[in-house]
Amino acid sequence: MADSKKVRKEDLAGLLTEWSRDYAVLAPSRADGVARMAAWDGEDISFLDWYRNTINPVKSLFLPPVEEMFSISRNERGHRIELPPKDDTGCLVFGVRPCDARSLILLDVVFEDAYEDPYYLDRRRRSIVVGLCCTNPCDSCFCTSVDSGPAATAGMDIMFTDIGDNLLVEGISRKGKELVAGNATLAKATRTDENRARKIRLAAEKKITRKIDTGDSKERLLAVFEDESFWQQVSAKCVSCGVCTLLCPTCYCFDINDAMTGGEGSRCRSLDSCAFSSYTKMPMENPRADKWRRVRNKLCHKYEFYPMLFDNIACTGCGRCIRLCPVNWDITQVLDSLPAKHESKI
Amino acid sequence: MTITDISHRKMFPARGNVYLPHMVVINKIIDEAPDVRTFHFNFKDKALSEKFTFESGQFGEFSVFGHGEAPFCISSSPTRPDHLECTVKRTGRLTNALHRLSVGAEIGFRGPYGNGFPLEELKGKNLVFVAGGIGLAPLRSLIWNVLDNREDYGKLDIVYGARSPADLVYKYDLASWQKDDRFNMAVTVDRGDEKWQGTVGFVPQVLEHVAPSAQDAVAVVCGPPIMIRFTFPVLDKLGFTSEQMITTLEKRMKCGIGKCGRCNIGNIYVCRDGPVFNYQQVMDLVSSEY
Repeated sequence: MADSKKVRKEDLAGLLTEWSRDYAVLAPSRADGVARMAAWDGEDISFLDWYRNTINPVKSLFLPPVEEMFSISRNERGHRIELPPKDDTGCLVFGVRPCDARSLILLDVVFEDAYEDPYYLDRRRRSIVVGLCCTNPCDSCFCTSVDSGPAATAGMDIMFTDIGDNLLVEGISRKGKELVAGNATLAKATRTDENRARKIRLAAEKKITRKIDTGDSKERLLAVFEDESFWQQVSAKCVSCGVCTLLCPTCYCFDINDAMTGGEGSRCRSLDSCAFSSYTKMPMENPRADKWRRVRNKLCHKYEFYPMLFDNIACTGCGRCIRLCPVNWDITQVLDSLPAKHESKI
Repeated sequence: MTITDISHRKMFPARGNVYLPHMVVINKIIDEAPDVRTFHFNFKDKALSEKFTFESGQFGEFSVFGHGEAPFCISSSPTRPDHLECTVKRTGRLTNALHRLSVGAEIGFRGPYGNGFPLEELKGKNLVFVAGGIGLAPLRSLIWNVLDNREDYGKLDIVYGARSPADLVYKYDLASWQKDDRFNMAVTVDRGDEKWQGTVGFVPQVLEHVAPSAQDAVAVVCGPPIMIRFTFPVLDKLGFTSEQMITTLEKRMKCGIGKCGRCNIGNIYVCRDGPVFNYQQVMDLVSSEY
């Protein structure tokens, strides 16, 4: 917490207004009882009181549910393809929860790999992620089991912590530190402020009671991988709706499609889901026509395949897949039910 | 295990954006078999034609604008860079749209993607090519590649089969290869017709009959999954080790570059880490969803 700053709550709107001059500022906003990141309206900071997490994970800002990759127009000489107009505006997202912030570092490696994904990376490079420490986690949260936690800073540029009358402000990345360092609205935090933040964070961590043992989940999944009856049982109630993947902060699967009428149209990409059997369907066969294979792929991608490639578990414990599942499929229960390594060897 | 390093691969992204297709023009269409056509095409951008290179076994993402994109292997050889070829069976929306096009039509191409055949490892070896149906397409690129550098390789055998005489593709190549005494070729069909005077029988059985030696040899197998499944045991019987058997895997693909997710088998992405694998690598996969 060295060099930490603070801002009085009544000055937060002023700070965001200041940042609005250089960035398009997004903040949690509520409509129809659902929280989303939306353009900040210039005054409302009431989210500090009601906001727990947004329904869409923060990935939606960088990998939108649907986006145009390029437009296509046909004329007598052939086709003309044009990229969407370039947007150079920086974007500051205020209030990102630690679980969602962490998802960005998990997604970055995928989109940076070998062939860079210009759409995702351009948005990432123009963004400032301002995190908000979790003080009131949900029952479904299990971030502390997957290398995250209510006060984790991975993926953030700056982190705010609500310490009562003030918010503690810490620069995390170089970009974030620079932004915090030169700001006159921010005052230097005292030892008392920092101690208060520490206590609040510990209390928040204690509130996360849902815990799973992920130490050897990779090995345990590998051990049951070919056990069809286990996966049949695990997947029995799944209705393949895809909500757990579409609203998962770390799921990034997408589809690419054209839409064109009268010689004008566009190529779009949209989120796709390994929960859908169409996702892998080929003309003659489908390797994952069976639901149990799709459920196995979803879970194993997060806890086995992705870790094999990039070391980390591709889950941040945000709990959306538990909160939003229409049939109460619970990833933590399934992981808990994996036979211990020594059992499966028998 | 970490992600396969592919930084050495040649990439030709249009305007630096890996998803933007290059415009190519179809300059010849050949009817190969019922619902199967070969398209010859060239880049519209002459400068790109000059510098574009690929490896046998690599594929491209082909666009028919308004209908989307699909992956097809490049079936011509990099040793014959005058134009590129791909052979496509009509099975769905995009392939139907492609089949409706005529010479002069403009389509999109991005690539080349995938690993291609390990040419350096094949040099100096006796090669056994085993193909079924349209599975000859990726092998054809390799076969011409090998023939154009014939002195780099040992003995060559080809066993190729299709369901019926009409389903044999590249009949013009088969005719010229049959006359070529630089290698041994067996063509077979599952079921003949009144004009067919050649061999009748399934590819694995004919392969067993041809019985190529496993000594200093590598077998490259491409075809429908059922053929591949029955071919490996035959090769095993002939003494080929799992490292001496190479195949290509096929999966639904969209991006072609290991991001969109769908072509995964466990932790590998067929588009990015494959599509060429040796049989040992296939058996070592986490999942048997191949």
